Amino acid sequence: MTVALETRGLTKTFGGLTAVNAVDLSIQEHSIFSVIGPNGSGKTTFYNCITGFYEPDSGEILFFEKPMTGLPPDQVTARGISRTYQNIRLFANMSAIENILVGEHSRMRANWFEAILLTPRVVREEKAAVEKARQLLSFVGLAGLGDQQARNLPYGAQRRLEIARALASQPTMLLLDEPTAGMNPNETHEMTLFIRRLRDELGITIMLIEHDMRVVMGISERIAVLDYGAKIAEGTPAEIQGNPHVIEAYLGSGAASGIKPVARQLE
Amino acid sequence: MKTLFRNSLKTGIVFGIITVFLFLIGFTGTAANLLADLLHNESAGLFLGLTPLMLNTAIFLGLIGLWAGVSGASREQDIPGDPFGAAALGGAIAGVAHGLPVGAAVWLIGGLNEQGVAMSTYLAELLPAAVHQFLLGLAPMTAGIFYLLFLTTAGAAGGLLNRVLGRGSRKTRAAIRNRLRESVESLPVLQSLRKSTAGRYAVYGVLLAGLLLLPLVAGQYWNYTIGTVGIYVLLGLGLNIVVGLAGLLDLGYVAFFAIGAYAMALLTAPTPHHLMWNFWLVIPIGIVLAAVTGILLGAPVLRMRGDYLAIVTLGFGEIIRILSKSDDLSDFTGGPRGVPAVAPPDFFGLPINNAIGFVYLIFLAVLLVIFVTNRLQNSRVGRAWEAMREDETVSRAMGINTLLQKLLAFAIGAAFAGLGGALFASRNQFTGPEDFNLMVSINVVAVVIVGGMGSIPGVIAGALVLKGLPEMLRQLEDYRVMVFGALLVVMMLWRPAGLIPSSRRKMEIGRDAGLVETAEEGRGK
Amino acid sequence: MPIAKGSARRVKPYQIIQTITGIAFTLYLLWRLYTVLIGSPSYGADTWARFIIAGSILGSVYALIAIGYTLVYGILRMINFAHGDIMMIGAFGGYFTLEATKNIPVGGTTFSESFPFLAILAAFLVGVSIAALSGYFLEKIAYRPLRGAPRLVPLISAIGASIFLENAAQLLFGAQRRDYANPTVLTRGEGWTLSINGANVILPYTGVLTVVLSVLLMIALYLLVMRTRLGRSMRAVAENKQVAALMGIDVDGVISRTFIISGALAGAAGVMWGIHLGLVYHFVGFIPGIKAFTAAVLGGIGSVPGAMLGGLFLGLVESLGPAVLGISFQLKDVIAFGILVLVLIFRPTGIVGEVLTEEKV
Repeated sequence: MTVALETRGLTKTFGGLTAVNAVDLSIQEHSIFSVIGPNGSGKTTFYNCITGFYEPDSGEILFFEKPMTGLPPDQVTARGISRTYQNIRLFANMSAIENILVGEHSRMRANWFEAILLTPRVVREEKAAVEKARQLLSFVGLAGLGDQQARNLPYGAQRRLEIARALASQPTMLLLDEPTAGMNPNETHEMTLFIRRLRDELGITIMLIEHDMRVVMGISERIAVLDYGAKIAEGTPAEIQGNPHVIEAYLGSGAASGIKPVARQLE
Repeated sequence: MKTLFRNSLKTGIVFGIITVFLFLIGFTGTAANLLADLLHNESAGLFLGLTPLMLNTAIFLGLIGLWAGVSGASREQDIPGDPFGAAALGGAIAGVAHGLPVGAAVWLIGGLNEQGVAMSTYLAELLPAAVHQFLLGLAPMTAGIFYLLFLTTAGAAGGLLNRVLGRGSRKTRAAIRNRLRESVESLPVLQSLRKSTAGRYAVYGVLLAGLLLLPLVAGQYWNYTIGTVGIYVLLGLGLNIVVGLAGLLDLGYVAFFAIGAYAMALLTAPTPHHLMWNFWLVIPIGIVLAAVTGILLGAPVLRMRGDYLAIVTLGFGEIIRILSKSDDLSDFTGGPRGVPAVAPPDFFGLPINNAIGFVYLIFLAVLLVIFVTNRLQNSRVGRAWEAMREDETVSRAMGINTLLQKLLAFAIGAAFAGLGGALFASRNQFTGPEDFNLMVSINVVAVVIVGGMGSIPGVIAGALVLKGLPEMLRQLEDYRVMVFGALLVVMMLWRPAGLIPSSRRKMEIGRDAGLVETAEEGRGK
Repeated sequence: MPIAKGSARRVKPYQIIQTITGIAFTLYLLWRLYTVLIGSPSYGADTWARFIIAGSILGSVYALIAIGYTLVYGILRMINFAHGDIMMIGAFGGYFTLEATKNIPVGGTTFSESFPFLAILAAFLVGVSIAALSGYFLEKIAYRPLRGAPRLVPLISAIGASIFLENAAQLLFGAQRRDYANPTVLTRGEGWTLSINGANVILPYTGVLTVVLSVLLMIALYLLVMRTRLGRSMRAVAENKQVAALMGIDVDGVISRTFIISGALAGAAGVMWGIHLGLVYHFVGFIPGIKAFTAAVLGGIGSVPGAMLGGLFLGLVESLGPAVLGISFQLKDVIAFGILVLVLIFRPTGIVGEVLTEEKV
């Protein structure tokens, strides 16, 4: 199986603080890989390094074996990696459809001159783009809400819209940042099924930052655990659950409680 | 109870200070003259011993006093059983607070005037005649006491008026406002307009036809004014792309205007370069030059934070102005005296140098710019700009090369300014450094912001209000700029999204209607 | 900016251009300095002395105004566009006071002649108070209601306030330039005579007064910001408004007081301007305002010592610049604007370095 994303010794410091500490990760294509860890362990910073928002201080990032370290965000997207954000960052005052259309920006080609002249190609491209946006809306279950302002949508819908927007650039890999934050158990369950669908139907490799352990243990094929920026464990859900370092990182040393899997529920 | 009347007191004091201020800047005199025009009473005889102008002054102050009373009472809660009493009292208190400073000022200034102190060396408008008029011909102390009583009464009357208008508590006011809005919106005309796009286009068509026929009937002066408004619409639309669509505050926009104007001037006028090219040839050159300048100026600065960008562009604008004025470069630019005899456009050989022809030319340019703006707004580029304005970081992740897009917006905006500048120079048949000062940039910014950022009808409204109105109110010429400044502040406090905002902007900036829930707030539910 | 600094991985094209331009400009400057000072000196030491004296005096005035900008920017992250006009208000306050003292008869002569220093003191007190009051009301009316709005909105309000103040002043007082009526003891242009390079160089009394007062005020302000409770509150609010409020600091009060202080400093600067340079009119605050802002940015906006240094530096550069660069004195404002543009493009964090944190992702 091919390795979709690989990081080697990825490090990022801010002043005196090492946010990401020599993290080595290898994610197989078409898999669902979770990154977990206590708050402040550097997970989002890790994402920011991969997606080009931060420039890593050292280490390498390889996407399908091609180096990608230090590329700016627009080029990362062009290579095929999309992401969502911890605190939903939709374009609040634009409509749902427009948000997705912006997501398609990198796959469209009309430039300003053609836009002014309204060439047939531009017309065709716009039409196709809108059609595709509507399809994506349906795919995430928001059909018919296309003209709603993004900030008027209910919370769960906003999360899904953000995913639709991320899908608009036809990524081969999707980085989700706490997609179930703030959701009740029903919504969480739906989101989990949805993430599975993304991988199963669209073949997208998925990396997931999550705090909800049921989700993590339920759908991940492999999990990596970060603590204070360093990777302290990696393995299958079963391996991680039994790993004393992980338990210590989350619950402090001396804690003997286990994290029981509730994976059966999600079958 | 006490707090209710504290508001009246505060309102009154504010009115008092404003009235004294108006007197000191001579506005009361101007207002009296305006009223004279309105009431046609210049040549009337004495009324109660007052000359017509004095009477008008009294009327003017009475109206202000009434207003003070209305405002002073408006914050009173509805006191059941005695609506008028409280309101009248509130108005009267405001009136006293209003009258005291005015009366005191009158007494003081009148007294000094009597002693022959030449106040006008310090306060330019306090000429003896003006003071005499304000004093209504009375002795200083008498006048002071009179004003105190007069304004108190006016205030009380205003308080009563407040209740008659049915204002009172905020609930009542809101209810009245809503009822008004509903009745206006339910007018059959507007209903049918809203329903049929064909109907709407018909109305636009009629308006447009009226607009096109207007220059034929308006006189020379009005055509010139319409032309100026048109050029500001042009500039406003250009800046609208930079500020409204891409969100970059450019306070040096006049620089591109200057480039277009100087291009037209230097390439078509006989001096200083003896080139005398054809108008139509130079127009695209001016546009391109302005766009190139936009790219050159924009490239280094577009990375900056908002307010820094504003100041840097201001600096650029000033640098260009000073350079164009300097003697060192006058061989190239024509120096501080400018470039005369700029050529007018020709229509197959016939020069169009009358106001009517230019108005049509400017109309054409405006239509062109509106078309281009509209096309850009609804395209991939326009969406990219909007996304950048919403969240620049995330828009980069969408694949938008923010630097390039900002540069594009900047250059296109500059191109429009260049077009405006070229037309401007040609119409005036002259151009010089004094035409390109900071106030031009600020005026254009005001047109966009007061009119409504990102909205084409807004920009047009802005240009009409900010450039057209002052022309119509010629008598208030002296106060124009001061009012302009105050207007900017007032607009930001009252309607920061502009007169006719684009619907998106209203949501972004809207503060009155209660904010819509954000994702964070929703999460708590 | 989302791309964090610190890594040299990606050398962006604009950084290369920046460095090359910077080096080229520095070399040019060094060459010019050599030419003008050693190679073919067109000015004698006495002229240089005059430039330096004038520049220092101007610089201290700029420094006072710049501190006002930096204080407000630190606390509200906004450029108080109307700050220059507060200086104008102070200048007028001082003017009217001196006019009044000129007209009060005291034992044969006027008040200002009998008690010149009292008169000057009165001028300062009035100018400073009126300016401080104006600063307070400016914030209350034009800025406070717009506290939460997007940055563009208070900026426009500030511009509007500035235009309003300038034109109200013009309507009230007329457009003519007014001469400050210094008491004879402090006549403009008179001072101690130094002999430099064989020529007489005057160290003006008004200039010395200006510099001494400015330095005292700057010291006082520095102590205020660093040692007093108010200063601590100001710094806390500048760091993080919400947390400061949670700590029990009256944020609105602190902001008001910041405006009062910044207004007072501007007012003092305005009176000094009048005393030393003589002419005041409604527009007097505009260009010094922009130059002082340049100085504040130069020194690192948000940093009070930076503003002081920046002001001094700018004054000297403006005075010495045309001579060193060999350009006409008409263009000295271009130098100031040029510095502004260059600093904002190439080193927006200023000489001392930025005190304020960037936006994080």
